[in-house]
Amino acid sequence: MSGIDLTGRALVAERPGRRAARRNRLLRDGGWYVVLTAMAVITVFPFAWMFLTSIKGPTDAITSVPPQFLPNAPTIANYVKVWDSLPILSYFLNSTTVAVATGLLNMLVAALAAYPLAKMRFAGREFIFYLLLATLIVPAQLTYIPSFILAVNVFHYYDTLPALIFPNIVSAFNIFLLRQAFRGVPNDLIDAARVDGAGEWRIWWSILLPIVRPSLAAVAIFTFVTSWNDFLWPSLMLHTPKGMTLPVGLAALQGFFSSDFRSIAAGVTMTVVPILLFFIVVQRYFVRGLAGAVKG
Amino acid sequence: MTTFTRPILRKPTATPYLFLLPALALLGVFVFYPIGAVVYYSLTDYDIVRPPVFIGLDNFVRLLEDETFKLALLHSFIYLIVTPILIALSIILAIVVNRKLRGIHIYRALYFVPAVSGSIAIGLSWRWLFDRSGIVNSLLQTWGVIDEPIQWLATPSLVLPMAMLLTIWAGIGYYSVIFLAGLQNVPEELYDAARIDGATDFQKHRYVSIPALRPQIVFVAVISSLAALKVFDEIYVLTNRTGGVLDSGVTMVFYLWEQAFERSNAGYASAIAIALLVITLGFSIVNVRLLERGNAPGDR
Repeated sequence: MSGIDLTGRALVAERPGRRAARRNRLLRDGGWYVVLTAMAVITVFPFAWMFLTSIKGPTDAITSVPPQFLPNAPTIANYVKVWDSLPILSYFLNSTTVAVATGLLNMLVAALAAYPLAKMRFAGREFIFYLLLATLIVPAQLTYIPSFILAVNVFHYYDTLPALIFPNIVSAFNIFLLRQAFRGVPNDLIDAARVDGAGEWRIWWSILLPIVRPSLAAVAIFTFVTSWNDFLWPSLMLHTPKGMTLPVGLAALQGFFSSDFRSIAAGVTMTVVPILLFFIVVQRYFVRGLAGAVKG
Repeated sequence: MTTFTRPILRKPTATPYLFLLPALALLGVFVFYPIGAVVYYSLTDYDIVRPPVFIGLDNFVRLLEDETFKLALLHSFIYLIVTPILIALSIILAIVVNRKLRGIHIYRALYFVPAVSGSIAIGLSWRWLFDRSGIVNSLLQTWGVIDEPIQWLATPSLVLPMAMLLTIWAGIGYYSVIFLAGLQNVPEELYDAARIDGATDFQKHRYVSIPALRPQIVFVAVISSLAALKVFDEIYVLTNRTGGVLDSGVTMVFYLWEQAFERSNAGYASAIAIALLVITLGFSIVNVRLLERGNAPGDR
């Protein structure tokens, strides 16, 4: 579309050209869809194969060569078996309790700590900032031996859900994320509130928190998923079967059903589906949280 | 840290400290106290049940002679290979999904599925895929690639690579979201300018996208390498909590866990924990140095 020397001949010639361009674009997009779908198969296949295994009955092969993908007689018997032999519902409720409490408390504590770090001047601010930064480097597993002893001897919450919540209420990562969000709030807004006689707590609650609501949601949701999937610490703390969370119960599944892969597959499917549904609902915040974390 | 032109609070008050109190108190109990305690335990013979007995540096002497610890250390360093691979593949994935196509959001969500499913669930699904009679062997046999099934998870030389593959597979979708956010902040004009200069698609990304993604690359490098040094869940599930044949999958944290909670050697495990802390610290310092060098003028 140069516009120069636009003769009649050129105009006639342009039509097939435009059609060719559209064909090229369709071809190119088609190529991308092939690439995208191939990658999606790689990501989703392990889950799909788990699901297909879980709905196969004893007459459907699960280890044949060549593989049999679809069941001839789909069944929910494996799910019933897992449901009857393990307290899956308790696992689910325990996981939910821990993840919700951890998510909300993280949001609260991080929002409190982030305000002075973002908007106030006080002695020791630099020191506290670097102290928090240093905690990001300390491997959590380092703290497990003393935390275990604290849980048994001092807090007496061994084998209960608070043992999973209390050590995980504060994360420097979340504090930094919210500090970054608070820094984006104009100082004039805060000063104006001060002139109007608002105290710091009032400013925090009525001005800052509503403005950074998306970041608060990101913190809560992100922590929720991390807590939901946490394994090592919960596996050290929980022993009573009914008191376990999903990952801990799931790991026990392997021992329980040893080589009954149909049942293991049913158990895994049952635990993956709820968190996937949750993810689909809150996807937006999840991505924002991840993206926002880097700008700091 | 010097962005404040005027003091916002005029006189010193307790207010900022009150806001910080819950966070600092919890960190004190669950991070700083444990660091001190671990240092003390590392100098003792301690089985968690009976009180610790001071034995000086014996645990560290033992550590230096412990072949399994050396192996665990080696494995943890080998595991770091996942970081450059994760960065490269995640950037490629981010570039691929950073285009306007119908339904692209569905694809992006699908790639994120492993990241939210939890390491135990995906570990179990991988055990099933790569079982001796699993579908991977079955497909390879069907296609005539192999005659006999491969023991993916029971061959010593394969245990660690399989765990690393799992980490990469589960991490790509997660990290590519970070890179995608970075790409979407690159001004379109930069690509237009590159196109006018006659850059190919590859050159456009090499000279525009990659430099623009520098902060994200640094972030992912730090986060994913710290995670690699601390890997545990993947090893635990894939080896069915054994650490693999001949300790072929034992990493530092796995060995720490085994010593502390399977063999009740809390004192010795604390020495391993100190080693882990020193390595992580050293590694973070190196990371920061590289980061500073990367930010030197003229690099862009």
